Amino acid sequence: MIAKRIIPLFLLKGGRLVKGTQFSGPFVDVGDPLSQAMIYDAQGAEEIAMVDIEATSQGRCIDAGVINAMIRKCRLPISAGGGISTLAQANACFAAGADKIIVNTGAVANPEFVRQLAREFGAQSIVASVDFRRHGEALVPYTNSGTTRLDRDLAPLLQELVEAGAGEIILTSIDREGTLSGPDLEVYASLTAKLPVPLIASGGIGSYDDMVDLFRQSDCSACALGKMLVLRDYDIVRIKAYLTGRKIPVRDA
Amino acid sequence: MKIGVVNISIGNVGSVLEAFRFLRHDAVAVSDPTMLEGCDLLALAGVGNYSTAMGKLTTLGFAAELDRLVKAGTPLLGICLGMQLFADQGFEDGVTKGFGWLPGTVEKISSTRAKIPHMGWNTVNPVRPELFEGIENSTFYFMHSYHFLAANPEDVIATVTYDDTKLVAAVKRDNVYGVQFHPEKSQGDGLRFLKNLLESIA
Repeated sequence: MIAKRIIPLFLLKGGRLVKGTQFSGPFVDVGDPLSQAMIYDAQGAEEIAMVDIEATSQGRCIDAGVINAMIRKCRLPISAGGGISTLAQANACFAAGADKIIVNTGAVANPEFVRQLAREFGAQSIVASVDFRRHGEALVPYTNSGTTRLDRDLAPLLQELVEAGAGEIILTSIDREGTLSGPDLEVYASLTAKLPVPLIASGGIGSYDDMVDLFRQSDCSACALGKMLVLRDYDIVRIKAYLTGRKIPVRDA
Repeated sequence: MKIGVVNISIGNVGSVLEAFRFLRHDAVAVSDPTMLEGCDLLALAGVGNYSTAMGKLTTLGFAAELDRLVKAGTPLLGICLGMQLFADQGFEDGVTKGFGWLPGTVEKISSTRAKIPHMGWNTVNPVRPELFEGIENSTFYFMHSYHFLAANPEDVIATVTYDDTKLVAAVKRDNVYGVQFHPEKSQGDGLRFLKNLLESIA
């Protein structure tokens, strides 16, 4: 049986891992990317996802060196992103050892880019990351680290990205991110039912029961964890023990 | 043991090298097909597109050299797309001729309910157990939308069930070994699988 994935989500800023709230500062330093990756690998995380949160605004993409250092020391899949907007940048990430690349602003603004990436590298290597806020009843996508509002609805955007070749979607609630107040269950439950690719829930997960609720009430394939792991007293081993006790299919490691 | 890992930038050569080095073997990335001769084990790893990968292997001269060495008896491990290329034909982006070492085709996973790609850690069920001895949980990392349909069931040494579909997880015929999962990305179980393979050909 395929296991639900627990994915530490690393936010990279100036070569260090940081954590903020709702995509804003103050950003707390939470450690060195390589040593943290080795710790979560040893604890039995299913993957690590890493995004350089300054890359797009600085007009560059994530540094290949940090990806390469990680794949040399870790035996788990690494997905990496931040500022990827050309095939050459994607290729540099794969050459450095990324198993998957994460595209956000470059893909959401131009789904045709996803089509090119999928044709070159295969859909299974392309993760589309989409951030949204609630405006009343409407779910509104944002790009550029939550600063640019798109004039369209979330659901058709996701469909378009999947149709273009995204093999997976990370969907982040900006309202919940870093708040530990629980994921936006309603959104994940309704959207994953409509999507033919795996969906990774991100934003707001702050307790064991948040994960139990997420996996019971939605068909999400994975959850991304940030603050709960890096600034609270949780680890992957205890999370999995709890989920196993609640009959959520997770992997022994 | 000297292990030559084919390096044509179709995926994660670095992780494969590091996994073999962790097991204290001499693994090298090979970018020139003439350097494959003399290796005790060849590895063909890759993610990506079937036709793109086969095109690059042919253009760079790897396809002919790999075919020659495999037919001469050199052990070869194919990982993910690398294993799929063993087939007669792949159906990703049109029809592409594969190496034809193992009869069969590579087609898109057809499942009515399950999410595609088959992505994440899944339990592998060995049919022939020799390469899976001592493996604790038998969970391995998969990331693929296409799968190998073996014409000869005896070539299949392990399967994996995804939703309601049984997929080929590992194949073996003589000196040709292939895995759909990524042992280099599968933590302890993955390393143990590679160790078993290296011991079996030593």
